[in-house]
Amino acid sequence: MVRLSALFIATIIGLVLPAFADEPLAIVTQLSNPLQSVSLETLKQVYLRKTLLDSNGNRWIPLNLPASDPIREGFSLALFNKRPDDQEQYWNEQYFQGINPPEVFASEEAIMRFVEITPGAIGYVRKRTVDDRVKILATVNIRTSR
Amino acid sequence: MNSLLRTTFSYRQGDFRLNHAPPKSKKRAWYALFRTELTAWVTVLSLTLSVAVWAEDTQKGYQLGRGYTLGNSGVHLGGYAGAEIEGLGSTPWSFNINDLSLFVTWDNGSRLRFFSETEVEDLLSAGEHQSLDGRKAQFRLERLYLDYLVNDNLAVRLGKILTPIGQWNVIHADPLVWTATRPVATDNLFAEHATGLMLHGNVPIGEHSLEYSVYGDYSSALEPSRTEPPFFDNALGTHLRYTIDDDLKIGFSYVDFALQSSASIRNHLAGFDFAWTHQRYAINSEIVYRNNDAKTNNNAWQGYLQGVSPIVGNFYAVGRYEFFDQPSKQFGQLGVLGIAYRPIPPLVWKIEYRIGEHNRDLAPDGLFSSLSVLF
Repeated sequence: MVRLSALFIATIIGLVLPAFADEPLAIVTQLSNPLQSVSLETLKQVYLRKTLLDSNGNRWIPLNLPASDPIREGFSLALFNKRPDDQEQYWNEQYFQGINPPEVFASEEAIMRFVEITPGAIGYVRKRTVDDRVKILATVNIRTSR
Repeated sequence: MNSLLRTTFSYRQGDFRLNHAPPKSKKRAWYALFRTELTAWVTVLSLTLSVAVWAEDTQKGYQLGRGYTLGNSGVHLGGYAGAEIEGLGSTPWSFNINDLSLFVTWDNGSRLRFFSETEVEDLLSAGEHQSLDGRKAQFRLERLYLDYLVNDNLAVRLGKILTPIGQWNVIHADPLVWTATRPVATDNLFAEHATGLMLHGNVPIGEHSLEYSVYGDYSSALEPSRTEPPFFDNALGTHLRYTIDDDLKIGFSYVDFALQSSASIRNHLAGFDFAWTHQRYAINSEIVYRNNDAKTNNNAWQGYLQGVSPIVGNFYAVGRYEFFDQPSKQFGQLGVLGIAYRPIPPLVWKIEYRIGEHNRDLAPDGLFSSLSVLF
């Protein structure tokens, strides 16, 4: 009886609580970019618009998904340990200095399309959606709700 | 669209991979010309396609607090507006639409960047002894500069800037700060603006980073409206800000300067600041010390310590303690206690009460409230 109760409670908890899964994200850039990898610290600086040039002197163009996208939230938590909403004050201050946050694209496919043809563009998509249009510079594991 | 993009990309790759032996004499010249022209066209086409894809897929358009980008020109417009009301103190009550600022940014992805902020001050005001009046309104060039990125650690800025001393002066816009009133220490002992040359950048140190700026003020050409002294006659200064971790930053400032009101006297100002944020809590502090070569004793310490804590929903409690030396007057100190409400990030409403001793000249007692928005 005790076992049955425990099983019942575990089932209820499993149904009620959101389930999470690890999802590898690929940090992608244009195929012609000579860079082979990027460190997470550099990536962080690029997405904060603190690092503006890559090691070859070209401007980085960081791309984001919409703030409500669970992949964006996972990326933000993995990189900054903050949700996109928690960075509003930072971006307000940057806006006051004339610096805008990374461009927001509607979907992973939109990011892939832009990265494919734009030198300096860098974005993130789920690793399983990457194809030969882009180059992977790094992989970041995020947690997303299933 | 996708197939077209792929075709173009392959075509461009094909161009870069031409490995044929170059023809000789006239043929070589034609070949070189053809190759140059082809590369130029492919580049133009690639950029055009980038812009087309960007326009199709980005979430563009006006967004409150993030401004508006003018097509593909690289020009971005934005700004902020604020109104303030004060009363219940020793001075008559007053209402003022005191800020209407327009930002113009130009950044086309090259190493050059332009930024300006033009402000309309006192757009509309009213008070206990004054009906609603817009005649005091005046334009003011708050900032105007060109930035050139030399490399990832160094940029050169030329123009009019906010003097980088502490944190408050460089982000003083009402929607960005937690109180309607400004701490005395953030503008009393130095000029808010500097006009000249600045070298600035960000240097990684291990896992952390050091932001630095070194600047010189040698001009008042961009200071046509001298409404809020003091003004630098000339100045040479630096500000360093070290990011210890994502939540904690400390800063150090030093500036050697002469003011227009007393150009023969050299002043030396040093400052320390720190900012700690965690989730929705924040603690900030700035302390400045100024001495000078004047025969009368004008040395002064000023500073503040401010804390912010969430209360409920988007309401925050804010408290601040300030102290300030005043030349020829007694040591002043005060406290500010208030509430800030941020229903959405670009919009903030604040109300606070300020009370202190020997503070009548620099920061009188009273109730202050403001409503401001980034647009």
